[in-house]
Amino acid sequence: MTTFSDKRNIKLALVVDDSLMQCKVLSVLLKEEGYRVFTANDGARGVAMYIKYKPDLVLMDINMPIMNGYEAARKIKGLSQDNSLCPLIFITSMDTDKAFIESIDAGGDGILVRPFSPNVFKAKIKSIQRISDLYGQVKTLQQAQQKDAELAEQLMSGVIEARNFSRDRIGIIRQAAELFSGDIQLTALAPNGDVNVMLGDFTGHGLRSSIGAIPLAETFRAMTKKGFSLFEIITQVNHQLYDLLPADLFLAAGFVSISTHNASMYGFNAGLPDGYLFSELGDIKYRLSSSHPPLGVLPNLLPDSQLTVISIAETDRMILISDGIVEARNEEGEMFEFPRFEQAAKEGVIEGDVSKRVQQTVNDFCKDMPQEDDISLIDIPCGGWQQLLVGSHDFENFPDKLLSDTSIKTPPAWHWQLSLTGKRLGLLNPIPMAMSQINEIEGNADHWQSLYTILTELFINSLDHGVLGLSSELKASAEGFAEYFKERETRLRNLEEGFVEMQLSHHPVPNGGRVIIKIKDSGEGFDITKYYKDREIDSAQKLKFSGRGIDLVEQLCDNLDYQENGTVVEASYVWTS
Amino acid sequence: MSVKKQVTENSKKIEISIDGRFDFSLHQHFRDAYVNCKENGQVFTLNLSTTSYMDSSALGMILLLKDHAESHSGKVIILRPSESVNKILEIAQFHRLLTIEQ
Repeated sequence: MTTFSDKRNIKLALVVDDSLMQCKVLSVLLKEEGYRVFTANDGARGVAMYIKYKPDLVLMDINMPIMNGYEAARKIKGLSQDNSLCPLIFITSMDTDKAFIESIDAGGDGILVRPFSPNVFKAKIKSIQRISDLYGQVKTLQQAQQKDAELAEQLMSGVIEARNFSRDRIGIIRQAAELFSGDIQLTALAPNGDVNVMLGDFTGHGLRSSIGAIPLAETFRAMTKKGFSLFEIITQVNHQLYDLLPADLFLAAGFVSISTHNASMYGFNAGLPDGYLFSELGDIKYRLSSSHPPLGVLPNLLPDSQLTVISIAETDRMILISDGIVEARNEEGEMFEFPRFEQAAKEGVIEGDVSKRVQQTVNDFCKDMPQEDDISLIDIPCGGWQQLLVGSHDFENFPDKLLSDTSIKTPPAWHWQLSLTGKRLGLLNPIPMAMSQINEIEGNADHWQSLYTILTELFINSLDHGVLGLSSELKASAEGFAEYFKERETRLRNLEEGFVEMQLSHHPVPNGGRVIIKIKDSGEGFDITKYYKDREIDSAQKLKFSGRGIDLVEQLCDNLDYQENGTVVEASYVWTS
Repeated sequence: MSVKKQVTENSKKIEISIDGRFDFSLHQHFRDAYVNCKENGQVFTLNLSTTSYMDSSALGMILLLKDHAESHSGKVIILRPSESVNKILEIAQFHRLLTIEQ
């Protein structure tokens, strides 16, 4: 790196004095110091010369015809503002306080009162040049840093925002207080069609607060894609941030997973202001309040941590915000606060554009006040996601020959199995393991999303109803659904025995393959005929809180079969490329 | 200066009070108030009764104080947080990390 003073070897000085004699004397002294010197005999001419030569130093007399020294100094300082500091020294014989004060007010960097010895003059020039060089270095460094920061910000938002899922349907406000935002918004699609969303707020703002953003985004996306549950993702994110960040840096975050086929939302708020579930009329249906300290503070989540389950309608909207919105201040120092936010959000929901309405209202409130904290919001529609999944799996169009193919009698191309027992059942999720096997052997492809759904639903059925002995009747109402979820957590935590065995085998067929899934559990089984009968009644009465999982599996599989009193389920899934 | 420190009972009890805004600008003062208190078993009381506002970096600073106290077998008590400050502590669920006395 070159320092500022290296840029030009010969320095230029401008002497502005109406006395030719003075000009001559100062020029000689400056030349001895290695300067090239230009002279002007009045202020106006001095300004013109300044513009023409851009000198490194200006010496200015005060009393001059046409334009005096103060006025010329003001003009010159006005011109040099953005560039480097061009030191300007007044040379005068007026040894008064007034002259001294006025010359500094006019933008002078120093004053030399005649008479002075050549050595005093040279010392003054040296000292002022030193300051000027330092200023130049700071300026250069600052510009380089700004450039680096801009580049880093570009890369960062490229990695984070550009890879978000469904940017057209999920509304986002992202208004950073500095170049770097400490707030982060992530959206990703799970293999079963669930939409995972996170809004996070790192401590503080600026570069320091955004260093955790990239690993966070990677973990959130990779785990969602592999099919880990929202709770597993949160556990991992917390763990990772605890390892990564210093003690005073942490992430307040809200997580939401919209599950269309369960007509439910899973939520977790660790240190963010309340999240809101709005009806399409703008009524607040639910507040997702913080129930856990921010992530990265504790090595593990608190033992009683769990997701909140909320039933949702297709037309609802879920909104998460960071504290920058409610704490935004206006000129009077008043904060925006929750009532104003709720009103703006309500209007936004009714108008159909929450982020636009809220952002406008906050900015109108704050007017020209400098923004103190990052402002962010994420607005997620609760419906309209399912089509994405089912629409892409149209079994009606599969050739009959393929479905009735006899390849199932041939030995499988590969076979994979896993048996989990006792406590391990509560600790491990076998689905990502199974999916990772399939991806490794058969390669990554979109149609594995359906297989993921089948595996998840069947495994959860075996675990919940088989091993844990939970009755799906609990799920008959919205409140029951939450109760079910709570009971499940308790039983899982206390689980000592029981098992679930999972087997996968793959049989190639022309242009595709057939995956046979067999899951066996240690439960008591169930009366299959009664189950189907009950389901008919249920669907006639539109009681749709349970059994949705199996409906979906039936849609996705070409064959679904219960055996051994319902303790074994076998599903067959056919794919074509 | 809006960080005040009081040491009592043979330097076992240290009370730190924050007046006005508690944010990153107090970082150095706040740290100076406790960093040299290295005796074992000290109780750091953080009086927030006259604190008007607290931001997330202040929460981080409290966590640093907690780390410091715990590494010397001591503890931190937050004393009488004002209403607006209490709201922020509540959102961050700090009552689950340390003692808050109303």
